[in-house]
Amino acid sequence: MIDLKQIEIGHKSPLLTIDNIQLLKGKMYALIGANGSGKTTFLQSIIGINKPLKGEVIISGEPILKLNRIQKAKTISFVGSKFDGVDYLKTKDFIALGRTPYTNAIGRLSVADLKVVNETIELLQLQVLQDKFTTELSDGERQLSAIARAITQQTDIIILDEPTAFLDYANRKKVMELMKKISIELNKCVIVSSHDLELCLESEIDLLVVSKKRKELTFHRANSLTKSELIEIGF
Amino acid sequence: MNSKKKNNIVFLFLVIILPIIALFHLFSGEIAIPFSDFYSAFTDFDSENTNQIIVKEFRFPRLMMGIIAGGGLSVTGLLMQTLFNNPLAGPDVLGISSGSSLFVAFTLMSGIPFFNSDFGTIISALIGAFAFGLLILAFSMVVKSHISLLLIGIMLGSFTGAFVSIVQTISNPEDLKMFIMWAMGSLQHVESSQLPIIIAFFIIGIISCFFVVKSLNALVLGENQAFMLGVQVKYIRIILIAITAVLTGLITAFCGPIAFVGLAVPNLVKLLFKTQSHRILLIGCLLIGSIFLLVCDIFVQLLESSIHIPINALTSIIGAPFVILIVLKRLA
Repeated sequence: MIDLKQIEIGHKSPLLTIDNIQLLKGKMYALIGANGSGKTTFLQSIIGINKPLKGEVIISGEPILKLNRIQKAKTISFVGSKFDGVDYLKTKDFIALGRTPYTNAIGRLSVADLKVVNETIELLQLQVLQDKFTTELSDGERQLSAIARAITQQTDIIILDEPTAFLDYANRKKVMELMKKISIELNKCVIVSSHDLELCLESEIDLLVVSKKRKELTFHRANSLTKSELIEIGF
Repeated sequence: MNSKKKNNIVFLFLVIILPIIALFHLFSGEIAIPFSDFYSAFTDFDSENTNQIIVKEFRFPRLMMGIIAGGGLSVTGLLMQTLFNNPLAGPDVLGISSGSSLFVAFTLMSGIPFFNSDFGTIISALIGAFAFGLLILAFSMVVKSHISLLLIGIMLGSFTGAFVSIVQTISNPEDLKMFIMWAMGSLQHVESSQLPIIIAFFIIGIISCFFVVKSLNALVLGENQAFMLGVQVKYIRIILIAITAVLTGLITAFCGPIAFVGLAVPNLVKLLFKTQSHRILLIGCLLIGSIFLLVCDIFVQLLESSIHIPINALTSIIGAPFVILIVLKRLA
């Protein structure tokens, strides 16, 4: 899905290098590293808003920078660490905004679009929330609806930038398990950046670790590292 | 479904009430005019009949200006609120209207004949609005706080206000009187011969809005998320500023500054329709904005015999407390 070969990422001066990593569909990856190690810049390179200093990010055989904005919106969706809600925006309408790359010029939802939205709401069991305003939801509920919005975008790749940073333990666990389930059942490539080492280890997912000292991004299979080994590599 | 039905009922109500208010607006005014003269003013105009001249040259342009200014300013307010993700944004608070005023003042003073024509006035108002729109857009890239951006807008307003005062002190008494009358804001400055060009610019501005509805809907999630949804954010920002410049410039050039309509009406519309669907919000702003300004102007006309209230003062008297209410509601 995502091919990263001989890549150097950074702003002017390199922050990190990637030797050879392939990220696959049906898999979930945790991106771990210290603050300032280049995690965000790495995610920006995958999204295509930061051009690598060397090499190219290849998605399904195409360099990401060659995709136009609609192709890109149909390939990668993004969930931020916090969605504050918008006045008078209903949860269902918010989730339906994921259909934006597919709708016509005035953004009217087709029957097929509505079907995707309803199926996603059912999948995440958000029926009771759909008619509430996004400002009325709890932080956890808002994050779940943001994930639902990303799913309706029907992209092969979903990127979540510290999605659990503002959640309590139960919700953090719920988000990670949900994303793992989504990656397997909907066959998506999910990348989650996180500071929560325990949570990432508990979730039994593959790890992408940025070593600040060696300025290198390395891949580690699930359950192959202990917490102390992880700290040794990353921090 | 339920909210959709409710919204349709509200729309139906507004669509019925607008012509009634428009009719009432036509008939209000110091001179009582019989209905037959209204009818013949449009069907079989008699240039000798004073009543018919009043209808054709004064009442009708004033009515059209009320609809255009009310609807247009409300729409620009909505665009700015969505673009800057700020419910208290509007062309006047962001300094876009003052940019327009400043350019009109300068170009009128310049003595270049082109700028004394209707087209020239519109163009200079439009350029002023566009320039200040781009300026506030540039500030918005650096300043992330909503309140700071509004403060910068208000400072831009004070800055241009100072220049306008200087222009006032050096202009002759006749021009000064004209300028003060203009600055009070009025729907009566327009002549019937100017209407076609005004209506043309207005329609272009409004139709353009409906082409960016999809981007506006995505922009409520913020520029980054809109970008990830495939919106050409950089390009849309400029388009929104351009539409705002056309509408604000047009209205400011012919009616003078009219405060608070652009700020208050979109908030009222959102409160009423409880949606972020910009197709609904745009139509709501057009209808409620027109109705609001016409009602204000009916009051101006009814009181005209005893006291002359500038429309700008009236919209501020109603608009300012409403905006304070919005702020208080958001804090709660």
